[in-house]
Amino acid sequence: MIKTIESGIPGFDELTLSEITEGGIPEKSTTLIYGPPKTGKSIFCNQFTYHGLLNLEPCLYVTTDYGLKQVQNNMMEFQWFIQNYIQNQSLYIIDGISKLSGKKIEDTTNIKSSFVRNPSDMMVKIGIGTRFVYKKSNHFRSTLDSLNTLFIFNPPQMVTRVLNAYLRRITEAGGTCIIAYTEGIINPDTETMLKSLFDNTIKLDGQNIQIKSHFEEEEEVTNYRSTYKITDKGIVVKKV
Amino acid sequence: MIPCIESGIPGFDELTRSDSGTGGIPENSSTLIYGPSKTGKSIFNYQFTYQGLSHEEQCLYITTDQSLKQLEGNMFDFQIPIEKYIADKTLYVIDTTSDISQGMQTKTETIVSSHINNPTDIMVKVGSGVKYICKNNQRFRSVLDSTTTLLAYNDSMMILRVLKAYLMRVNEAGGTPIITYTENSADSMIETMLKSMVDNIIKLDGKTLTVEAMKSIGKRSSKYQITKQGIIL
Repeated sequence: MIKTIESGIPGFDELTLSEITEGGIPEKSTTLIYGPPKTGKSIFCNQFTYHGLLNLEPCLYVTTDYGLKQVQNNMMEFQWFIQNYIQNQSLYIIDGISKLSGKKIEDTTNIKSSFVRNPSDMMVKIGIGTRFVYKKSNHFRSTLDSLNTLFIFNPPQMVTRVLNAYLRRITEAGGTCIIAYTEGIINPDTETMLKSLFDNTIKLDGQNIQIKSHFEEEEEVTNYRSTYKITDKGIVVKKV
Repeated sequence: MIPCIESGIPGFDELTRSDSGTGGIPENSSTLIYGPSKTGKSIFNYQFTYQGLSHEEQCLYITTDQSLKQLEGNMFDFQIPIEKYIADKTLYVIDTTSDISQGMQTKTETIVSSHINNPTDIMVKVGSGVKYICKNNQRFRSVLDSTTTLLAYNDSMMILRVLKAYLMRVNEAGGTPIITYTENSADSMIETMLKSMVDNIIKLDGKTLTVEAMKSIGKRSSKYQITKQGIIL
């Protein structure tokens, strides 16, 4: 039986229930959540993060599209209040974009600023963050929202290199991570290669959710499909 | 409850009203107005700008197609008294249409020129503009019309970086920015990237205005017309 962690998205864990898995996100796996712009990918990531925090699973949160303040505002819209988790250090945030707004971020023990333009620095900070979060609990989550801004500031090969290093770091430490990405912003071949780096992919197209999971023991890819909505409580997947 | 600012387009705020918002444009969020050419995107911007100016909200206006003179003329056509707001310095214009070969245009504290093929300089001017407007510590609006021209004259990736910086700066300062784009004027990857960089997406196709994405509301649309007073839903 493949161990999973709760996704935090109502209907998701029930949808992904099968003979070999308890439903949810497989533990220590890597997941790419992708789709056209504005389909709820960030919301999904935040929901996943917040649910982990509620379950006492710390999270390494790397934000590259939104600055920390915006992340907090985005979460607040769904009543996901992260201030306490910042305070008790179970949420470790790497803000890779606020520098662009001219804002000075005060680095603290668990809030670090970096810059998408400097992927080596981001990797160093990710390494430190992983160790920090792992010390808190070896059941931890990690979120990267999203690859988009990394692709705006760096050549695609550089981004895939950073991504590979990040995925390896997290899974070696026993964490479960989700990475968001908007489909169609890089050339199709690179995009196909990108998707192949992940154990699971979740596609949100505005109406439908499609999950593909590649389990180690199985040769074939398992497919799950349903529809979803964005509500004022976050994403809700329709029970099939 | 998501705070919204009045759009200035009759019918738009009613269209976007919901349980969680009063309708209009969510404050401090970024918006992309796109569609085929000549569908009223610039007119939307004039009305949006005027709504703010006539209610004591300053506006940072970056123009890439129309010179300040042309802008004045066009806004005047829709009965927007732009000279008043230039005079009282609540409208801050960055005019990127100035030709390098032309001399310095009349520059004032709030009318500055830059060049369409010098995005670095444009960003510097944006920084100064935001700083100037921020002194009053109130909410403000910003318009960048249009990204299409910027993309036509410069390397696309550079412009995406500049746009990201522009949106971040205005957001950080408490402003509500709008950027416009002519559909299919750049390749699909750039277009997709543009859509992913903003919070709200509004499409004007000549007949129908569609809110394709907006914080806390789903897709909505309405027919619209361009009249002597501007766009009406």
